[in-house]
Amino acid sequence: MSLLHATWLPAIRTPTSSGRPALLVWADTWRVANPTGPGETPAIHPFTLDPKGLRTWLNDKDLLPDGIIDATACLTLPSRAIKPRGQTKLQSSIQDQREPGWTGLPLQAGEPIPKQCEWWPWQVQGLAIEPGAATTWLSKLPLSGHNPDLGEELRWWSHLQRWALSLIARERWLPQVELSKGECYPHRARWVPLLNREDDRRRLEELAAGLPLVATCALPWREPTGKRSNRITRLRPEAMRESNPVASCRPRSGRLRVATLLEDLVDAQLRKGFEPQTEGLDPLLTAWQEALGSENGVIKLPDDEIQRLATASNHWREGITGNVAPARACLELFTPSEGEDLWELRFALQAEADPALKVPAGTAWAAGAEVLQLGEVRVEHPGEVLLEGLGRALTVFQPLERGLENATPKSMQLTPAEAFVLVRTAANQLRDVGVGVELPPSLSGGLASRLGLAINAELSKKSRGFTLGESLQWKWELMIGGVTLTLKDLERLAGKRSPLVRHKGAWIELRPNDLKNAEHFCSANTNISLDDAIRLTTTEGDTLMRLPVHRFEAGPRLQGVLAQYHQQKAPDPLPAPEGFCGQLRPYQERGLGWLSFLNRFDQGACLADDMGLGKTIQLLAFLQHLKTEKELKRPVLLIAPTSVLTNWKREALSFTPNLEVQEHYGPKRPSTTADLHKTLKGVDLILTSYGLMQRDIELLETIDWQGVVIDEAQAIKNPSAKQSQATRDIAKPGKNNRFRIALTGTPVENRVSELWALMDFLNPRVLGEEDFFRQRYQLPIERYGDMSSLRDLKSRVSPFILRRLKTDKAIISDLPEKVELSEWVGLSKEQKKLYRKTVEETLDAIATSPKGQRHGKILGLLTRLKQICNHPSLALKEVVVSNDFIDHSAKLQRLEEILEEVIEAGDRALLFTQFAEWGHLLKIYLEKRWRFEVPFLHGSTSKSERQALVDRFQEDPRGPQLFLLSLKAGGVGLNLTRASHVFHIDRWWNPAVENQATDRAYRIGQVNRVMVHKFITSGSVEEKIDQMIREKSRLAEDIIGSGEEWLGNLGVSELRKLVALEEN
Amino acid sequence: MTNPPANNLNITTALTDQGLGEQPWWVEQWMELINSYRFKKRLERAWTYAREGNVTSIRFEGRRVHARVQGTDEDPYKVKLWLDVLNDEDWSYVLEALTQKARWSAQLLAGIMPSDIERAFAASGRRLFPFKLQEVRSECNCPDKANPCKHISAIYFLMGDRFSEDPFVLFQLRGRTREKLLTDLAEQRRQVLANLTKTTRQNSDHPESKPICYELPIPTHPAIQNPSLWWQYEGNLNADLVVITPSLDGEGGLNAAGDLPLAEDPKFPEARQRFLNHLHEQGQHLAQKAMLQAMAGDN
Repeated sequence: MSLLHATWLPAIRTPTSSGRPALLVWADTWRVANPTGPGETPAIHPFTLDPKGLRTWLNDKDLLPDGIIDATACLTLPSRAIKPRGQTKLQSSIQDQREPGWTGLPLQAGEPIPKQCEWWPWQVQGLAIEPGAATTWLSKLPLSGHNPDLGEELRWWSHLQRWALSLIARERWLPQVELSKGECYPHRARWVPLLNREDDRRRLEELAAGLPLVATCALPWREPTGKRSNRITRLRPEAMRESNPVASCRPRSGRLRVATLLEDLVDAQLRKGFEPQTEGLDPLLTAWQEALGSENGVIKLPDDEIQRLATASNHWREGITGNVAPARACLELFTPSEGEDLWELRFALQAEADPALKVPAGTAWAAGAEVLQLGEVRVEHPGEVLLEGLGRALTVFQPLERGLENATPKSMQLTPAEAFVLVRTAANQLRDVGVGVELPPSLSGGLASRLGLAINAELSKKSRGFTLGESLQWKWELMIGGVTLTLKDLERLAGKRSPLVRHKGAWIELRPNDLKNAEHFCSANTNISLDDAIRLTTTEGDTLMRLPVHRFEAGPRLQGVLAQYHQQKAPDPLPAPEGFCGQLRPYQERGLGWLSFLNRFDQGACLADDMGLGKTIQLLAFLQHLKTEKELKRPVLLIAPTSVLTNWKREALSFTPNLEVQEHYGPKRPSTTADLHKTLKGVDLILTSYGLMQRDIELLETIDWQGVVIDEAQAIKNPSAKQSQATRDIAKPGKNNRFRIALTGTPVENRVSELWALMDFLNPRVLGEEDFFRQRYQLPIERYGDMSSLRDLKSRVSPFILRRLKTDKAIISDLPEKVELSEWVGLSKEQKKLYRKTVEETLDAIATSPKGQRHGKILGLLTRLKQICNHPSLALKEVVVSNDFIDHSAKLQRLEEILEEVIEAGDRALLFTQFAEWGHLLKIYLEKRWRFEVPFLHGSTSKSERQALVDRFQEDPRGPQLFLLSLKAGGVGLNLTRASHVFHIDRWWNPAVENQATDRAYRIGQVNRVMVHKFITSGSVEEKIDQMIREKSRLAEDIIGSGEEWLGNLGVSELRKLVALEEN
Repeated sequence: MTNPPANNLNITTALTDQGLGEQPWWVEQWMELINSYRFKKRLERAWTYAREGNVTSIRFEGRRVHARVQGTDEDPYKVKLWLDVLNDEDWSYVLEALTQKARWSAQLLAGIMPSDIERAFAASGRRLFPFKLQEVRSECNCPDKANPCKHISAIYFLMGDRFSEDPFVLFQLRGRTREKLLTDLAEQRRQVLANLTKTTRQNSDHPESKPICYELPIPTHPAIQNPSLWWQYEGNLNADLVVITPSLDGEGGLNAAGDLPLAEDPKFPEARQRFLNHLHEQGQHLAQKAMLQAMAGDN
């Protein structure tokens, strides 16, 4: 897979060039490459798509920009030094004399970083997009999320472009005239963004701090100087590094660079859209306006005229904004001391990057000509920076004039009226002209300085905190700017008729309606419930009767309930209930505790543990817990994809044999209410598929279910699909409460679009109606990556979702390094039919055939049956993958479901099969399904191909996630530790062979836990094989010890037992 | 430029409809200077000259103003204007005075001409602005013996506006460019500061703590220490950029910057306003386009 990158090629200003910048895009791609190094020019980057390939690739992805030309640029990239490969000693010694240069390879994004990393220039082939087209192209890139095709810096670019659009939309720009930087170079008209406002300045700091250097790594290559004749010394790495000091001369100020990039983007867009209209303009303005709309912005005017324009435009801009600087002037307001009237305003110098870094004006004055160090920020000419800011501040806050009368002012005093003006209006205006303002905490604006409440609450004595509606015991006080006050206090303060008042030692600001609002609240005599407590502690700034709650203190017992609810602490574990056959790991006990905690609250729960952590077991343990506690009074409905029903039945049988489990499945399922009621007598758990549930919804709705459980809950992600609607309908309470539990292995909380349906199933009111949800959360988050909406959404849903990863510290200690999972699957209708037919026909043939041929025939039968379990097409020797390929095999359906989780998680997997033909079919199918390459290593793969496949799987940062191998060819010798999942799609008689294959991934070098998935087709010969391996029966020993000889000796009835399809 | 300098001599150099009240103070001061001139008839004719575009160029070169005025002759007349330059001693007084008040430096650095700047010049017994028109020295190669001739007077009318393009040009005429002035000022301030610290150190009982300024080596970029940062970006879109909104009234850069301080060419009376109006119109149009583009991605 390739990964797209983009970097800015600054305008190369020469007398002849048009001097336009460009966006260079290129794509990393993996291939085998020999180490190389720069000679007279940098070496060609070996891991990039050539321009033609890049065009095709971009076109496929629907990302091909307009206005492109093939281009090669010199980029500085982190590189790994490697001696040239495969050289004999003799060759290399000759080489050493001739080419003393450095050799190595550039690193690719995502590649592990070697200990020794160097910076070298590479010639990168790609496409250059002209600036206007580049802005259009950048606007179309996603603003959030991880796209496997796009390098992360493209998201940075899209954010920068978004900012450029915002500046244009707010008309925050001014045309300027930029004088030539040397003789013969043209003068230019430029559109310059204005970055003086507080929010824009902050944004500049953010984008500068996050700047991925690849976005600005284009540097002109300078050939090492030195005597021409002495090429050897000139091309020594030291000499080259000296003339291209790429690593050491990385510009310090990201701020300035980002401002320049932004300027280029804004200029390109305005230039493209601007239509000059010169009627009635004098020659000066005509030239300027025309240049503002021309492609390269060149102005042709006599020098003195251009000087005038430049000076005037500069003076014009100076009126609003200064230059981009690392620090700014800052005004700090201090409240009067006790008994005093006047406020103190201190002057300071503050770092742009971190407002907490500041020094008093005195220090800035004392620095004189020296550089001032503010933390890591270097400020040159600190005195001038401070003065310039104060000069600007004076334009919006007149009283300041008084404070600047002496040579080195450090502070001044303000009257109460002036202080109020500063707090109320001037502070924001000052920030907008680029001057920092620090107000006392109780006045610093925002919600905290408004009238609100401080609440103290606790559960009532008798309550255990189990019901949401119950009232709490509580006390409250009014609060402004962090200090509490009574209504009486407020009345007294309001009587002073001054907006800034002192209370309990702090100065607070009273607003006109405060007293009225407070009186209104006091007279209402409200109660609060556990419900309110949960809401008020969920999101910040929540209100109670329209007053913001500034402080919420919960008593110890309430705190316990809230902490558990908000998952601030791990749920209390609940041991495996009596009647549960098996052991729960500690995290599973916590999962059980959590399920029953939410059940007590009548809240739906989504258990979203990583694959392999045992969601099935936890759910079964929960049902058994209810049963043991005598709380399971009515049947529970479990809906799952058909492919996992078998697995459920199996697991229930072995872990909770006391639970009465029934399937609502197959043609013989009850079809009338009476039948159904009869079937349900004494039944605890009914299993059905999503498809049948939807078909039989009217029938199933007649039952007063105690609970509804959905497995693979992503099946209901599409809210408008019938299946999803039916599922949500049946979860609604009947005569009695109905618990709702969803199980899924996917990271649900990250899939915003899928959350609504899930929450509508679990707890319908939490996210509101679908339209509201889309507008409020889905659009802002998915399209723009809006973090505040995401945080809000997460805080709303997180109480109901428990997701543990197998990489969590708390889990790691509980889980072995290698987890073996049996994936029980059934057979499709077609598979069943074919299986039965094959068994009958072949057994008959075997019975009548001579002894000498029996052995071969039996083996042939077993092979064929295993093939049918994989897919009918395999048994029928088909080589084409039909469109409904997946419908014919239950095993493939299950495999696909699990692989989806693997791929989603970014994990890698090995897939073993004993049938090469199956490997070929699967390869075609999987590649079509996920639209990426799936390599297949089998018996006829050549030695060099094998090595290439293995190297790529192990080394390519964006290498394949799935790797198909035939058990025989791939089962031994290879090192594939990048995989953390191993699939055994079909079973082999000998577990040692399977284990050996597993050890391709589970071996030294493996840093993750390995999940081993073994597919077993229930009731088929595969299950018998599995049983034999498990039970280590004499028969199994025979098999393992003496190969397949014994098969020939089986009687037909024994053979029938082995192969016949059992319904269970 | 609708109001000619009629007999009431209500002349504005700004050549627009704007009244004097909206002019920067230095333009006002310049106007007072011209209006105090006694030979009104000559001024009237000069006004017509200026208005009809006979002044073909005005250049500030060093301490002089060079201009060309098309007269009756085929070639334009060459006009030179200059003020008496302050000598180094005078300037040192001015600088010393300027250092006394942080506000003066602050405003000059922020591109603002302090309205009480003359008080700093008073320290040297000199002025920044000429007090009488006679102090504006001039030379014209026209046959007219009178000084100022109408060519010179025509320049007078246009000068006020030219001061608006860059008020610091006045300093230049007095012998110091803005850059030079600011550098000198910074230097002067440093000396004053050095003296101040010395005296405070002598006067105080405990020595003042060392100011936290020292030269540190430039820190290496984090990406050099951790090369994976080369490609890494974990930022999220700033919440304010989620919805792209148009500017509120007066928020746009053109509104904030106000009138373009470019002297108008009298032959193109409304050029500046037209220029700004057109920018404004196009700006709104482009803002619309940007918002549409920002929303286009939503679908």
